[in-house]
Amino acid sequence: MYSQDIESLLNAKKIKIGDKILVTKVNDEYAGILMPRIKLGDISSIVIKLSNGYNIGIKYDKDVKIRRLESGKPIRFKPAETVPRKDPEKPTVSILGCGGTIASRVEYTTGAVFPAFSPADLLLSFPELGDIANIKARKLFDLFSEDITAEHWKIIANEIIKEIQSGVDGVVLMHGTDTMHYTAAALSFMLRDLPVPVILVGAQRSSDRGSSDNLVNLVSAVVAAAQSSVAEVTVCMHGSMNDDFCYLHQATKVRKLHTSRRDAFQSVNVKPYAKIFYPDKKIEYLRNDYKLREKRTVKIDDKLNTNVALVYTYPGIKPEFIQSLRNFDGVVIAGTGLGHVPTNPTGDKFTQSLLPALRNLIHSNIPVVIAPQTIYGRLDLNIYEAGRMLNEIGVIGDGCDWLPEVALVKLMFVLGKTKDMDKVREMMLTNYAGEISERTEIS
Amino acid sequence: MKEKVPIMTISRRQHPVASEMGLIDTAAQFEYLRDRTFHYQVFNNENCLVEVDCEPPHNLNPEALEIALQIALLLNCEILNEIHVMRKTVIDGSNTSGFQRTVIVGLNGHISYKGKRILITQVTLEEDAAAIVDEENGKVVYRLNRLGVPLVEIDTGILEGYSPQEIQEIAYLIGIIARSTTKTKHGIGSIRQDVNVSIRNGPRVEVKGMQELGMLAKVVELEAQRQTKEKIKEETRAANPDGTTRFLRPLPGASRMYPETDIPPVVLSKEYIDEIKKSLPEPWTNKIERFKSKLKLPDVLAKEILGSEYLDLFERIVAKTKVDPTIVANTFVSVVKDLVRREKVEINRIQEHRFFELFESLGEKKFVKEAMPEIIKYLAAYPQNGVADALNELDLKPMTSEEVREIAKGILTQPNMPFEKAYGIVMSKVRGKIDAQEVMKIVKSMVK
Repeated sequence: MYSQDIESLLNAKKIKIGDKILVTKVNDEYAGILMPRIKLGDISSIVIKLSNGYNIGIKYDKDVKIRRLESGKPIRFKPAETVPRKDPEKPTVSILGCGGTIASRVEYTTGAVFPAFSPADLLLSFPELGDIANIKARKLFDLFSEDITAEHWKIIANEIIKEIQSGVDGVVLMHGTDTMHYTAAALSFMLRDLPVPVILVGAQRSSDRGSSDNLVNLVSAVVAAAQSSVAEVTVCMHGSMNDDFCYLHQATKVRKLHTSRRDAFQSVNVKPYAKIFYPDKKIEYLRNDYKLREKRTVKIDDKLNTNVALVYTYPGIKPEFIQSLRNFDGVVIAGTGLGHVPTNPTGDKFTQSLLPALRNLIHSNIPVVIAPQTIYGRLDLNIYEAGRMLNEIGVIGDGCDWLPEVALVKLMFVLGKTKDMDKVREMMLTNYAGEISERTEIS
Repeated sequence: MKEKVPIMTISRRQHPVASEMGLIDTAAQFEYLRDRTFHYQVFNNENCLVEVDCEPPHNLNPEALEIALQIALLLNCEILNEIHVMRKTVIDGSNTSGFQRTVIVGLNGHISYKGKRILITQVTLEEDAAAIVDEENGKVVYRLNRLGVPLVEIDTGILEGYSPQEIQEIAYLIGIIARSTTKTKHGIGSIRQDVNVSIRNGPRVEVKGMQELGMLAKVVELEAQRQTKEKIKEETRAANPDGTTRFLRPLPGASRMYPETDIPPVVLSKEYIDEIKKSLPEPWTNKIERFKSKLKLPDVLAKEILGSEYLDLFERIVAKTKVDPTIVANTFVSVVKDLVRREKVEINRIQEHRFFELFESLGEKKFVKEAMPEIIKYLAAYPQNGVADALNELDLKPMTSEEVREIAKGILTQPNMPFEKAYGIVMSKVRGKIDAQEVMKIVKSMVK
């Protein structure tokens, strides 16, 4: 939105965004198409697109005159009209859209990249998807991934079930990358007995650019959905900074580990399931311990208790902070090293132990789960005094190699079924979706 | 120069994308159809994640913006109130992102040439593209160490009715105005000329990739000739070393521009622009006139020293010492240049104060200008030693006319000694110690 003055002037002159206008300022004249005003910068500057494509801003004041030269068409994207022809020889893949960079366009109100691109548009942009499979495309919602909640996970899970029940050979979920690993983990717990692959895919670089990783990622995901034998929830993202292959990651063992690189997603403590090469579209399996594609009846288990917290411990953390968590139904603590928090076994005068506060939580039937803030590696609460004391008071997680985010999602899942402390412990330590591995491969 | 070895090569592809206006650019599509892979060489300490399109761009470099604004002001442009960085779709792979970031900073400027007004339509600040290393079978290799270097593009209006030679002179003029900021790079390729050539009522043909200004007139000439003979389309062509051109790609349209949303628009306040106006450097068009009138430099030498990386040092030495500016200028543009080219002398080992010492000593007649190359070589070889050391060790103390007369006497008394031979022998014994013309005068006077 432009400033009040400019908006009133435009209204008075019936000039609309997209009209070709002439802006006169004393002796200077600028002709161009009136552009929408982005919030950043000076809202009292009129932005026009010159005939050579450049945008410029002209400060509006009493010396500025505006005149319409030509009426323009409103500036908006034409949605694609796809009438895909079904090829009975090809597998069918369903693409569901949740938003994110993979399906984003320039948005003028904030000047930022905004998800406003329907999956059908992608089919138009990436015709090679049609060579791999018959594509069904449907938008569930347009959300930045940081705005996605457990309620959305349930919607996604149910929509995936619908697609699978309609008989597709695989489902691809386009999702913002920031929290994709949370959604992936949640779906791993909620969707049981998957007969076909369910693959989350995103892009690190916006889809408006010719270099976007969206093409390689999406094509690889559709290849995996159509052809791979991995009938599990997985994440398909760039394997390196090159446009040469994607990894198919086990959903409970993958994490976004970089803010912006294409290969931000890495498998932690395990190898990825497979590599999907681009442009050859060949699949190379790196493991064989996944569930195979098979005729099965998929089930959904979408009861979650979202009243849980995930907190980092840090030097000098105050016990009051831990005490303040008593209104949650469960707490995950990302501990240091092998899974530690301050316990002050030597009685140092500066150090405050968290043990009493944690013990209080557990005594109030609030399970406390520990996870490694190192991200990589396995917890071990038997090596140091701090760990042994945590074990003693009943924190859950000794010996586990789960990611903090996965531990959080799993705790939501477990607390959705029981509040019994013994049952919670038993279920948390049961491996449901590959979130706990028995041994750590050397890589 | 040592050829740098890349620390890694990143391979990428690019695909066509719709622009802001919803149209897919013809140039972009065309490039896509060529089905190419791009291989980017990464260099240690010269590249970061931004250049490999793996990190969003940082904010506009304030120094680059200031220089671009200085250039726009020197070219009498109107400065915009708010500038918007754009993404210009470039899908030939020369930008890892698939677009070049570019922003107009000034519009509607002008310069004067032969009393006529030459329109400067716009001045833009851009990122330079990656330099191509190799292209074979759809595999294109680029070096990333030029990508993202600030580049100022200056566009002129249509130059109708000027000869190719005049157009080249106008380009030269624009070049030296840009260099007035003293912040531009030196050397081949640091100022590049793209030229749009069209014969009357014909389509526009853009010619890119002229590395030297000297080619411009010839390229314009040959391209105009071509256009009169062939059936022509709007397109981008590349200049060949012989001045002819070859087809590169169709001419891209305005639809390839859309906003760079990762960089907010920059408001150029009146105070900021006034501050830049106050500290504008002397335009070199003035400087060249001053060099010719006040310092009495010949036209060619004045232009050469302007193009030299020693310009700043030259001006300071001339201001501080009493040496003839022509000698100082000559030392930098020809003596130093020859030593570097022919004898690989490492001039940058000589600290600035040694150059001052050198010209002060010359001014005090401690040596003659003929000794200059030997002394400079010495100073480069022994950077800790001074000019006095050089004169001692190289035995270059100036000779008096009397001393030369003594030597000449011994030679001229020998039988069969014509003037030329005698002069040659004398010179070989006194070279670098006395002015050659002086020797000539002495020997001539003795022959009579």
